[in-house]
Amino acid sequence: MSSSAHTAVATPGVPRLAQHFASLEVQNHAARLGMWLFLSTEILLFAGLFVCYGCYRYLFPEAFAAASRHLDLTMGTVNTVVLITSSLTAALAVHYAKEGKSNLVALMFGLTIAMACAFLVIKGFEYSHKFEEGALPGPYYRMQAVQLPGVPLYFTIYFLATGLHAFHVIIGMSVLVWLMIKAIRERNFGPNNYTAVELGSMYWHLVDLVWIFLFPLLYLI
Amino acid sequence: MSVANESHQEAQNMEHHGSGRYWLVWAALLVLTLVTVITGRMHIPNFALAVALLIATVKGTLVLLFFMHLIDHKGANRLVMAVSVLFVLMMLAMPMADFATRFRPANPAGSHLSDLPDLNFLEGKTGAHGSTGGAHGAGGHEAPSGGHEAPSPSGH
Repeated sequence: MSSSAHTAVATPGVPRLAQHFASLEVQNHAARLGMWLFLSTEILLFAGLFVCYGCYRYLFPEAFAAASRHLDLTMGTVNTVVLITSSLTAALAVHYAKEGKSNLVALMFGLTIAMACAFLVIKGFEYSHKFEEGALPGPYYRMQAVQLPGVPLYFTIYFLATGLHAFHVIIGMSVLVWLMIKAIRERNFGPNNYTAVELGSMYWHLVDLVWIFLFPLLYLI
Repeated sequence: MSVANESHQEAQNMEHHGSGRYWLVWAALLVLTLVTVITGRMHIPNFALAVALLIATVKGTLVLLFFMHLIDHKGANRLVMAVSVLFVLMMLAMPMADFATRFRPANPAGSHLSDLPDLNFLEGKTGAHGSTGGAHGAGGHEAPSGGHEAPSPSGH
């Protein structure tokens, strides 16, 4: 049977073929499906916040428009570019993992992690600016420049959505750090051993995907 | 052994492509980001949200298909994504339909679907008080002093 051509060699660091799978291909297929299922639950987690946004924007259109013009569009745009580029380097890491170039995998993940740090630093500047202005959620709202019903709700959603996203950035960074260390220490990624890199990079792309929707909704509308 | 065949198919699809398509997708994503920033700043009446969401959907689809390899992963993987998108749309549509069809006094006070004023922003609808307060704030008061002034418009 040609589909089970890959035989599981007991190399340290390379995942073994579990007994209940017919072949390594089937095992990888199952791993990917599991990752997609997990990512769909992540999408539905964020969807809760998007639903809040949709409902309250529908109820308070002027307030949301006025409040969104108070965000720093330059910082938001720079962050979008940083995150998209970090997604590119994560995708390239998978590409090099398939070629067995573990050094380049580590370099690509290193760049991704550096850009993730840059993203968080820029986000931190934005947050501290919002704290100074008093553009805070709910009863803590005290920005005089925009006084409309619904604006405190906008900032509640802003902080919850970007906060949950930033939390995912931190989780993604930890996964990528683990993969980078794995690439440096074990140096055995290759055409039959790249599932870990692929799934870690899929998580990072999800973080990018969520931001692609958050950015226009929060900053541009 | 249809499962094994499907897995074999997926393993073959995932086999090596050049890295060129990642760079192309990256360039497309950057161009679309530029487009969405430009169209967003134009504040197109009525269609701004539709345009922004359309561009975001195109960008998201590019990320899903090429960066996340959904173009190579077929079958159940796509079904999972399609179902989760469907559920997101349902979750969005139903609560919004609820707000749209509610008995007016049941909607949050101060919203355009309610006749009741928001007690926190009594002058809010006209914006007169808020904007003078803002001008004062910009005129040289520090943020803490603005904070002291805040209870007077919002407290009554």
